[in-house]
Amino acid sequence: MIRIAFDIGGTFTDFVLHDAEKRVIRFGKALTTPRNLEQAVVEGVDAILAEHGGTSADVVSVLHATTIATNAILERKGSRTALLTTEGFRDVLIIGRQKRYDTNNMHLDKPAPLIQRRHILEVAERMDATGNVVVPLDQTGMSAAIEVLRRGDYEAVAISFLHAYANPAHELAARDQIARALPSLAISLSHEVSPKFREYERTNTTVANAYVKPIVDRYLASLGSALQSRKFTANLYIMQSNGGLVTPEIARAFPVRIVESGPAAGVLMAASVGREEGHEHVLTFDMGGTTAKLGAIDDGEPAITQTFEVDGIDNRRYSGLPLNVSAVELVEIGAGGGSIAAAHRSLIKVGPESSGAEPGPICYGKGGTRPTITDANVVLGYLNPDWFCGGAMRLDVAAARAGIEREVAKPLSLSLEDAAWGIHSVANSNMERAMRIVSIERGRDPRRYALVAFGGAGPLHAARLARKLGVPKVIVPIGAGVGSAIGLLTAEAKIDVAMTRILRMEAPIAPEIGKIFSDLQVRAERDIANLNLTGDVRFRRGAYMRYAGQGFEIRVDLPLGAIDDQFVAAAIGAFETTYKRIYGYADSGTPVEAIDWYLTATKPGIGGQGAVGRQLSSAHSTARQGVSTSRRAYFPEAGGYVDTAVIDRYAMAVGQTIIGPALIEEREAMTVVLPGDTATVTGNGHLVIAIGGVT
Amino acid sequence: MTTSSQTPRPISANRPGVDAISLSVLWNTLLSIADEMGTALRRTAFSEAVREGDDFSTGIFDGRGRLIAQGNFTPGHLGAMPYVIENVLKFHAPETLRPGDSILLNDSFLGGGHFPDFFLTTPIFRQGRLIAYAVTTAHQVDMGGAAPGSQRVQGITEAYQEGLRILPIRVVREGQFDEDLMRMILGNVRVPAKVRGDLKAQLNANYVCGERLGDMYDVYGEDQMTRTIDAILEHSEAETRAILARLPQGRYEFEDFLDDAGPDTGPIRVFVAVTVDDTGVEIDFTGSGGTVQAALNSYINYTRAYGVFATRCLTEANLPNNEGSFRPIRVKAEEGSFFNPHFPAASGGRAAVQIRIFDCINGAFAKCIPHRAMGAFSHWANPNIGGVDPRSGKPFIMYDMLLGGYGGRATKDGVEAMSPVMNCSNIPVEVIEHNNPVLVERFSLIPDSGGAGKYRGGCGIRKDVKVLAEGAMLTLLGDRHNIAPYGVFGGGPGAVGQSLVISGAETRPYGSKEVVILKHGDVVSLRTSGAGGYGDASEREAAAIQADLADGYVTPAGVRASYWHDVTEKP
Repeated sequence: MIRIAFDIGGTFTDFVLHDAEKRVIRFGKALTTPRNLEQAVVEGVDAILAEHGGTSADVVSVLHATTIATNAILERKGSRTALLTTEGFRDVLIIGRQKRYDTNNMHLDKPAPLIQRRHILEVAERMDATGNVVVPLDQTGMSAAIEVLRRGDYEAVAISFLHAYANPAHELAARDQIARALPSLAISLSHEVSPKFREYERTNTTVANAYVKPIVDRYLASLGSALQSRKFTANLYIMQSNGGLVTPEIARAFPVRIVESGPAAGVLMAASVGREEGHEHVLTFDMGGTTAKLGAIDDGEPAITQTFEVDGIDNRRYSGLPLNVSAVELVEIGAGGGSIAAAHRSLIKVGPESSGAEPGPICYGKGGTRPTITDANVVLGYLNPDWFCGGAMRLDVAAARAGIEREVAKPLSLSLEDAAWGIHSVANSNMERAMRIVSIERGRDPRRYALVAFGGAGPLHAARLARKLGVPKVIVPIGAGVGSAIGLLTAEAKIDVAMTRILRMEAPIAPEIGKIFSDLQVRAERDIANLNLTGDVRFRRGAYMRYAGQGFEIRVDLPLGAIDDQFVAAAIGAFETTYKRIYGYADSGTPVEAIDWYLTATKPGIGGQGAVGRQLSSAHSTARQGVSTSRRAYFPEAGGYVDTAVIDRYAMAVGQTIIGPALIEEREAMTVVLPGDTATVTGNGHLVIAIGGVT
Repeated sequence: MTTSSQTPRPISANRPGVDAISLSVLWNTLLSIADEMGTALRRTAFSEAVREGDDFSTGIFDGRGRLIAQGNFTPGHLGAMPYVIENVLKFHAPETLRPGDSILLNDSFLGGGHFPDFFLTTPIFRQGRLIAYAVTTAHQVDMGGAAPGSQRVQGITEAYQEGLRILPIRVVREGQFDEDLMRMILGNVRVPAKVRGDLKAQLNANYVCGERLGDMYDVYGEDQMTRTIDAILEHSEAETRAILARLPQGRYEFEDFLDDAGPDTGPIRVFVAVTVDDTGVEIDFTGSGGTVQAALNSYINYTRAYGVFATRCLTEANLPNNEGSFRPIRVKAEEGSFFNPHFPAASGGRAAVQIRIFDCINGAFAKCIPHRAMGAFSHWANPNIGGVDPRSGKPFIMYDMLLGGYGGRATKDGVEAMSPVMNCSNIPVEVIEHNNPVLVERFSLIPDSGGAGKYRGGCGIRKDVKVLAEGAMLTLLGDRHNIAPYGVFGGGPGAVGQSLVISGAETRPYGSKEVVILKHGDVVSLRTSGAGGYGDASEREAAAIQADLADGYVTPAGVRASYWHDVTEKP
């Protein structure tokens, strides 16, 4: 009963093997093979199976998170794609929403659309806002469009007609005609990919789906056959942005849903770790080499957003391309270990520019000349220059010091230590801003949350961030370096379906709401039936609601059970409770509208929900030899550089308590424990830091 | 939230009492508060202009009324705010303000230049002492007066025709609206629910500011905050001066014209002299036209806002907005002129002027810093269509914004279809059609409208709206129907714009600021001008022309006209 999970990242592909019977979990890492992704996968899978002494026949499921769709979008290297749209609206995709992402910059550029104007075709047809046909689908125009598609050598076409969410008849008719004429063309329909109003966002989402569809399709096909050639009979499941697994068939139909595949899995890991440690409310903090991603888990469930921007700049609204895709809610900013620090107009500026993996921070000694957060952290004594990445790399402290001196300390007349501390602090303040967005701006009181920190740099900065926001507890999970792959093991199969129908929430509306949810249920069950899973389907209902006349909706969970007058009253009550939580007041008595409706179906059966942490000890029990027991590290509250205990995480006993200041080292990460904080290894193997002694 | 927070130990005082680290961190936090205010405002607002169009702004002022931080919103609001708070405090001396008060003002002279802009100022107290002011501005979709949307230009000769004028009044006491005042305000506007909802959203945003600032003062203490604010302003001013000091000194002039101030009026001269010297930059509109007898005049707060904004963008002196970064740039215009009128000059449609202020300053700076200059913008259209929705029997106002392209730049073509100068979003067609009795028949770029050049100007935008209500009033607000957006350094001008009403078989052109009563089924076809080019068209690379042809930004006929290449009919 073995499950294997792998997460393909830009540099590394991470593997986790879980054997439920033997209660063993193993980690592995292999260099990603960009030109032939499945190569690293099969080699890594072979290696981890061999290490475990298992064979492909023992594997019951293979779980996968991938950046393939994201990369195609980021690099604008998708398929040759056309868009067919309503006559008169060719430029919706080019025009976008038109706001500059920086008011004070008149020389910036808009995010480049995924396809050029030359690939956008029009056909006469029109629905009105209530779904009535105003202009029938023009048959002559369709024939002409099909001819252009044929001659243009396209691999994919997106069809997005105005108000198609209200009546999809024309999109369906157009699809049928194109499919008959050009059966090899991959077709994406806006009312299926994103049945919501606001034409630019819906069209962009549909185009993105079309744009990555042939690529994802080919990739999953070749991955499937590569696994088959290794005699795997296990089912393959793919992680979606919403944190749910689906079959390759569904991922191939709606590949835009897997854009945030890896990050979503990381958040699931954090949710699982939170549950193991008794925390239903968790803030997640994933800091890697180029960015930091912050998310939230409420009542044990990752927060889900119905729209986000891909390829944005530093979380600035309108800097990226909006996708109407159900996704784990994440705020991503340009603050990672490689983010570059500079003196800028007598201030310290950190990120979003990154030194990347090449040349990397100065201390890597690979040609980097501009100081980074990692360089500051090594100067401050937080990182062990002799045992970085488990000793795989030595860090050049002298070069880091010289770089910070030259680029930051001298221009600002700061001492070297102050400059390094300044870089560290400014990075923290940038992340604090992002965490405020995730927590306070969205109605979450950080004092009620635990912070789960992972990624290479997360555990180093987490305690400072927690202090800034009053978070009482930081959890550094075991296996933080392969967090996303671990997260895959905790995922369930999940299908989200949604539609736009603007309804005033008044008692007589109940039958209409009933109809909406029965339609959604039919759609969800069709997909669920294709998952090859036994077990009961669980449904969750929700809606995006607002006071009538407002333009911004908030997500409200709706009760299950009969949809009657009481249901409507309960929905209004749930809306007002949520509204009050976010904005501090509710205008009771003001009419309420619901805009988007959604239904989530989950089905267990792929993986256990069990705690993975406590099963780790068998694979990672050997303590490292020859670790120095103390190092000079910088803690301003203790007066500057002080002798700081260095502890090998793998040598810590369950229940052992460390009092800060302390540095806890492991192969994938370094945890900084601040003066006055205490760190303990729990029975699950996780490291828990009580901030300021608060528990 | 502050239970376990700690004050960073002040270190290395390279400025008395404030180090680079505290300065960076606290400044960051103040800016994030201003952004957070905007999030609260947008999400709880009721009008399309605010919630979809982002036509609002936020600001934080210290206890002395000095601007310390603003959000990433509309420059006209942002730049007016410092003067607005000065005016508010003349009517309500700080010692008369109480916790829970908020002061509302919409006067065109004291405020943002026209009545729809509501400024709400909330004093923030801590331990009984006034420490700061939160200010929000929102463009209210109607303030009553002669036309729905209160932006009618034609036939409006004085401000009293433009709707309700509010001198600074205490509209909120102890956190609650004064319902008597609200009844009076809401009784004078066409869409009272939206106005009340948006004002409530402004109040929400100001409360967010109060809460967050209070937390900051708790953590850092009043002394540290005061020192930091002083340092932010001092630093911003010094940096701005340092950047301006690198500009070639001299006097740079530019002249352009607005089409008119409505039917049967002549062009309005827009003349600017930019002086760069040791004291900074002076923007002087002396020599521009006089006050007009139409609702187009640009009150001094508005003129200053866009004058400062244009200067900072063009010179790259774009530090975060605050009193210090504004100080080295002075804007002046003769009293009683178009750019500095006396009350009660009418001004509802002054939004049509902002782009010209930028264009003109850009034209002057082109002689000083050519690498930063651009061709003139495609102008924008800001029409209102108001009437009674036959579906509901209730009044509707369709407020819309058509935002065209940018002029060509020193190294690139102009950006297509991006909000020029002010920073708004368009309102989605599907949202417009849900809320108004209209059918939008076309929303597209206009081929061949971008000015030719080595780097082409962006295209104009066209929107055709069929109005499905009887007797609706169309208030046009635009420009560049007669006088084309200029190109720079040999770049060609953009095509001029048009406003057409198609009624059955008849198509009638209108001036850019007319008022039209529409019949059911009339189609309003608005076409903004294209933007100006940069550099001579003969220097444009053939590959760029080919790409434009393939994408349809230009037609073969357009290429023959502008670039003289041999182009066959079907590329």
